[in-house]
Amino acid sequence: MVETQEQPVRTATPVISVVDLVKRFDSKTVLDGVTLDVFPGETMVIMGGSGCGKSTLLRHMIGSMQPNEGSVRLFGEDLVVLSEDQLNAVRKRFGILFQSGALFNSMTVGENVALPLNEHTDLDEATIDIMVRIKLELVGLREAVDLMPAEISGGMKKRAGLARAIALDPEILFYDEPSAGLDPVTSAEIDQLIMDLTGKLGVTSVVVTHEMDSAFRIADRMGMLDKGRMLKIAPRAEFEAIRDGEATGDEMTDLIRQFLRGDSEGPITDRRRETGYEEDILEMAGGP
Amino acid sequence: MDRAGIPIYLVRWAGAQVLTALGRIGGMAILLSVTARWVYKAIFTPKARFDVEGLTVQMVRVGVKSVGVVALVQIFIGVILALQMTPPLEPFGQEGMVSNIIGVAGFRMLGPIITAVVLSGFAGASIAAELGTMVVSEEIEAMEAIALNPIRYLVVPRILATFVMTILLTIVADWMIAVGGWVTSRLVLGPESYVGYWVRMREQLRYRDFVTGLIQAGVFGILISLIACHEGLKVTGGAEGVGRATTKTVVYSIVAIVIAACICTMIFYAFEL
Amino acid sequence: MNQDSHSSPVQSERWVGRATVVEVAGDIDLHRSSQFQQSLLDVVDRNPERIVVDLGGVGYMDSSGVASLVKLLSRTRKTGVGLRLVGLTRRVQSVFEITRLNTVFEICQTEEEALA
Repeated sequence: MVETQEQPVRTATPVISVVDLVKRFDSKTVLDGVTLDVFPGETMVIMGGSGCGKSTLLRHMIGSMQPNEGSVRLFGEDLVVLSEDQLNAVRKRFGILFQSGALFNSMTVGENVALPLNEHTDLDEATIDIMVRIKLELVGLREAVDLMPAEISGGMKKRAGLARAIALDPEILFYDEPSAGLDPVTSAEIDQLIMDLTGKLGVTSVVVTHEMDSAFRIADRMGMLDKGRMLKIAPRAEFEAIRDGEATGDEMTDLIRQFLRGDSEGPITDRRRETGYEEDILEMAGGP
Repeated sequence: MDRAGIPIYLVRWAGAQVLTALGRIGGMAILLSVTARWVYKAIFTPKARFDVEGLTVQMVRVGVKSVGVVALVQIFIGVILALQMTPPLEPFGQEGMVSNIIGVAGFRMLGPIITAVVLSGFAGASIAAELGTMVVSEEIEAMEAIALNPIRYLVVPRILATFVMTILLTIVADWMIAVGGWVTSRLVLGPESYVGYWVRMREQLRYRDFVTGLIQAGVFGILISLIACHEGLKVTGGAEGVGRATTKTVVYSIVAIVIAACICTMIFYAFEL
Repeated sequence: MNQDSHSSPVQSERWVGRATVVEVAGDIDLHRSSQFQQSLLDVVDRNPERIVVDLGGVGYMDSSGVASLVKLLSRTRKTGVGLRLVGLTRRVQSVFEITRLNTVFEICQTEEEALA
């Protein structure tokens, strides 16, 4: 029964299972053999710098991109081989909050939240109205039900996007950069919502972010993605230990440490310097 | 340089152009076939209902908002035809024939083609900009994520609306050209032209002149909206990409309209329509 | 735990004096809410003085189930019937808490309390 799943149990079957995922755009490899399991009821945070492939990974997990190699399973179903109808059946079981909220600009906030309910359920209008009010109350936006997306702030758009994402009471919620572009207080509020949904309703969450404060606040486990490779997947405490510890001399650990701490010196910046600047500029001057 | 003396980059460039063009046409063919499948489903299966409200909104946006511009442009086309065609007829004492010429030229070709050109700037550009903006703001992805097919909910109503409204506007346009010609005859040309203007036009025109014009209008309408949806949905690169998509939509639409008009005319000619 | 989606979640109704106790069981989700709602509204039509909804057998309830209860509440308020919920499992309790509807409904611990 669901009752026992208060704490993520490692032996449980993963709800999301990504295996050896490879994605290339033209000749550029964006995901280079990513493997990741997410277990019921946990919050998995995927971190990484810009262009590390974390958004691409997310898009594979929601079935909006096709990989070159590997598989993505949600609830045991391999998204890669599903027909559109089957994929849509899976899509009704998860929700996603996009970076900008991605509200439909031609509809009011309330209509945005009602849309999945209108399209995918046989519930009557009154019930749907009540559900829309409940979802908006949950994200603290009940008074905005009749406003158009253009009339509300970025933070409100995000909360409205979250209300729409949870319209069908999904089992998994994906968040794409939930705190990007928000002030610290609004960002903390969104984090609290993520934690409430996971803690009280048992929703499984996958969060893609580069905001470390937020990541450490909400994560049960974390994964660090770099240049299309998953460097490390571990419980939050392990990452906290790396962040708070001294540099070890181990390249990978130090790289993670630099990222977590936001230091301006370390393996990440060293790597950028090793790009053959000297040869490059001498060549411009007519060769050595 | 190869032996034939054609720089290799020219061949490469031409090849690349052909490939992009083919890719684009292929993309639109797929879009059209998926659209046709949804229309078929909406009509023949009870479950997938038609989004009547969405269709109405699009028809108003495509048609009602551009009817003024179409009418205005077409009146001027009528004026131009009357002024240009009358002098060559004078030496033969056939000024009256100008109404026959306006009738055929207007109903068969200029009515549909000018209407379509106006609509490609009006409706085509705005559809491309709208869908492009939806791509940029992740709305299309959001639709897919909540298991709603963007082609069904966005492309189908836009193509149907543009198809219907191009035909309806062409009917208006045809009459505006005729009226423009008549007003010019009345005010500028003289009784040889305007006396019996409508009678002669009625005698000249066959139903097929009218119908072939409307068939072309329908084809143009599908082309404009198909190009607009296709360009809009494949926008990349933010606001700049949206701008590029609208420009491309207008240019490709006009080229496509003229080519389609030529092909249609050839077919009508071959079948003596 | 996945009941036939056509069977009503309402297992039994019994009269205790002028009150009706409605026992509900199984998951209440998007597929079963319409039925759930209908069964509940039928109870109101039988004119009890009070309705006690026993949710003890409900392991999972989503927001459509909650919305159904809100609809029932609105109907009972209009007709002057009392409505109390009893036997909420922790998970269902959480749903009411997160939607802050625990303040809107009269939620009791035991049936005796609900009937008092």
